[in-house]
Amino acid sequence: MADPVITTIEIILIIPVALILGVLFLFLFRKLNARFQWRVGPVIRMYSDLAPLIGKTRIWQPLYDILKLFGKDTIITDVAHRRLFMYSPYFSLLFAIAAAFFIPFPGMELLSSVPYSLVIASYLIISSILFTILGPVASGSPWGAIGARREVELFLVSELSFVLSIFSIALSSGTLVISEIADRGWSAPSILLSLTSGLLLFVAMLGKLHIKPFDMPEAEAEIVAGPYTEYSGKLLGIYFLSKTFLTYVLVALFIALILPPVSTSIFWLPAWAVAATALVFLLTVVQVLNPRYRINNALYWYVKVVIPVGLVSFIIAFFIRVVV
Amino acid sequence: MIFRADPDLVQFVREEIAPEGSEFKPLRENRVAVKVDLGLLDKLADRFVHKYGARLIHATAVDLDVLGFEVVHIYDFSKTKERLVVLLEASMSKEDPVVPSIAKVTWQASWAEREMMELLGIRFLGTPDYRHQFLPYEWPNPVEGGVSGGQMPGLGEEIDVKPSPQEMWIPLGISPKQAYSTLIPIGPYHPGVIEGQIVYVKVEGEEVVSADIKTGFHHRGIQKLIERRGYSKGVFTSERVCGICSAAHGLAYVTAVENLYESEIPDRAAYIRTLLVELNRAHSHLLWIGVVADVIGWKTGFMITWGLRERVMDIIESITGNRVNYGIWRIGGVSRDVSNELALKASAALKGLKDECSKLLLLVADHPVVKSRLVGVGPLSYSEAFEGGAVGPVARASNWKIDVRVDNPPHAMYDQKVISWQVITDDHCDTYGRTLVRVKELLVSLEIIMQCLDYLAKTSGEIRVKQKVIPVNSEGVGLNEAPRGELTYFMRASEYDQNLPQAIRIRTPSYRNNAIIPKMLVGSNLADVPVIMGSTDQCLACTDRVEIIDAKVETKKSILWDELVALSRKRRGREF
Repeated sequence: MADPVITTIEIILIIPVALILGVLFLFLFRKLNARFQWRVGPVIRMYSDLAPLIGKTRIWQPLYDILKLFGKDTIITDVAHRRLFMYSPYFSLLFAIAAAFFIPFPGMELLSSVPYSLVIASYLIISSILFTILGPVASGSPWGAIGARREVELFLVSELSFVLSIFSIALSSGTLVISEIADRGWSAPSILLSLTSGLLLFVAMLGKLHIKPFDMPEAEAEIVAGPYTEYSGKLLGIYFLSKTFLTYVLVALFIALILPPVSTSIFWLPAWAVAATALVFLLTVVQVLNPRYRINNALYWYVKVVIPVGLVSFIIAFFIRVVV
Repeated sequence: MIFRADPDLVQFVREEIAPEGSEFKPLRENRVAVKVDLGLLDKLADRFVHKYGARLIHATAVDLDVLGFEVVHIYDFSKTKERLVVLLEASMSKEDPVVPSIAKVTWQASWAEREMMELLGIRFLGTPDYRHQFLPYEWPNPVEGGVSGGQMPGLGEEIDVKPSPQEMWIPLGISPKQAYSTLIPIGPYHPGVIEGQIVYVKVEGEEVVSADIKTGFHHRGIQKLIERRGYSKGVFTSERVCGICSAAHGLAYVTAVENLYESEIPDRAAYIRTLLVELNRAHSHLLWIGVVADVIGWKTGFMITWGLRERVMDIIESITGNRVNYGIWRIGGVSRDVSNELALKASAALKGLKDECSKLLLLVADHPVVKSRLVGVGPLSYSEAFEGGAVGPVARASNWKIDVRVDNPPHAMYDQKVISWQVITDDHCDTYGRTLVRVKELLVSLEIIMQCLDYLAKTSGEIRVKQKVIPVNSEGVGLNEAPRGELTYFMRASEYDQNLPQAIRIRTPSYRNNAIIPKMLVGSNLADVPVIMGSTDQCLACTDRVEIIDAKVETKKSILWDELVALSRKRRGREF
């Protein structure tokens, strides 16, 4: 465990860092998406004739979208369960930020070296998503109800993938502390393990971040905005903010667990940036190539892919643990 | 091309179809009008449908002022006799307008009868469905003599979706009885379907238990508007029924008017008409593929197809000067020629497009996730399609070879001996089949366009013939294959005025296809509801016959139109 003062400074520092990186990831996601679709997307360098009016760049567009919401009226419906409806976004944001404390960033160990930090981080991520389900259920909207129902189903299967992935890695390295996992050495079987459990974690990320083909909770054609239908103004802004943090958290967790030792030292920062960009690129490719699955197709697909890969992953982890 | 009556058909009707003692009136081309006794309508309908396999195109009624009402049933006999359209007419007094209903014989008349009940106050004996068609269901005293809140027989099965006010907005039931099913109103304004309508969908979990469709949010009485404006001005009004298939409406309208007298059009005009209608079909089908891609969440497919569509729109713009309402239709021809150079230029622009559309076909047909969303969704068998009265690609995807361009061609160049093209059918009988049919039709359309452009690039000639005097009290039917299916214009010339029609009735393809949507919805997954609704390529503006008014966008700085066009051209880097 590092010096408490340094850890405190790091914790204060990681909040803006996570926000900025989350916004950048979302920008990259949107920009790549647009380029794949013959569109322009948020421009990096604004046209010269428009620059004096709206600024030189639109890299912070995802953040502007959120800030705009904070300036809008928040409407709360009469049928909503008021307290749960209002507090859910805040709890979701709180847990997403808290999850960022337990995941190492190059040069910042944070709380990743506390005992059971892997379990804590995964529980915080789960809690954050849980509150994106509870709020909509309290909203009293049929769209919200169906969106939340789909979210629960998707959450269960993506969680299966998530848990299989992180615990096969934990088994192989014999620890539940993220900082130790992130600092583990490489061997031939561990490369194989990184492949299989990396695939599982990636697939779990698709479900958690609602990347197509798994964006059915927010299927706008059928159920308007799904869980977020009744949310507006600041509360919706808080939800989007929590999604921004969650994006950062999942990308950072992926790199920490799958690509050791990139998350350990400040000198690895360029590699971390490259890995994160590549990951966002891969997510975009999946998003661009696919239409949306039906929820039952999605469940079937998850079970079909996750269980065999998870089994292979566990066998490799067991092999590493016992033999190597 | 000259259009005259066919003596063969007239004889066939006289000997076989017309009942004894009926008045008999051959019209131009393949249309024959038979005046019968009012009581015979349902018996004749039964005989036509079951003996000759005839298909009801439309049922409507005409207000003849002091003479009373006249009910007109238009039948298509193309199954028994090639190219025959029979108009059954029966008149009645306005004091006691009672007609035997034929909705029990052929379900296709259901919507038409509801419309007549509502708009003209005619009563139908034995109609299974008395509800309002365009007014809200809750409107007091629905139809004179009708029963409030009657049941709607969805192609032979009973659909009961009459939500009570308490039931309507309960998302998650409190008592076990309420928790059993949820009523989801899709519409009146919903991101899945752009235009206004309500589809009441009752779901248990994600499965649709029952469904009902309610239209009427757009009705502006465009038919009455044309009746007031006269034949030549009506061309422009008819184009504004629909913003997407405006060319199809224009052609169907001029065909109907030209059907009122012994007309002829120059060959070149026929080619230009075909060219425009097919360009229209190409952009409409591209638009549809984009919409379905969007509905199943495939934004990339949406962007790509709409990008391709933009190129078709550019060609249309270069030919007619307009993107949406072309305004070049005239009675007896067209108003604007396509020069040889323009034809060559457009032909060059189309060549690349055709390759990309073929790639699109492969992309759509083979994508595993697209297939998983479309195969087996919204099933509609051949018999259901026939009974329900499906038209256009929806019917053709149920393996029914129905195409107005072959059966009753409009006044344009669709002769299969001159232009090589074929009718596309598919036996998937689901949304996937409808997608394939549309993508293949798009390619066929491009082929027809290329042949038309070839002709136009090599020849020159007249494009318009002067319109003759329209005889009073004559009747005409204009049929055309719109992108969504068979489009019908029924027109009756006035007895008193040579410039005004007495009545004009429009039956759009979406009017038919929307009516069978509830049937396709039952038993499907909620996630598939927008896909199924989209699969008919429904055009609510067509169904309700809207006039679209484009509001001018207000800008802080006033920019002149020419400046705006120049700016847009500059940014797009195009000449036109």
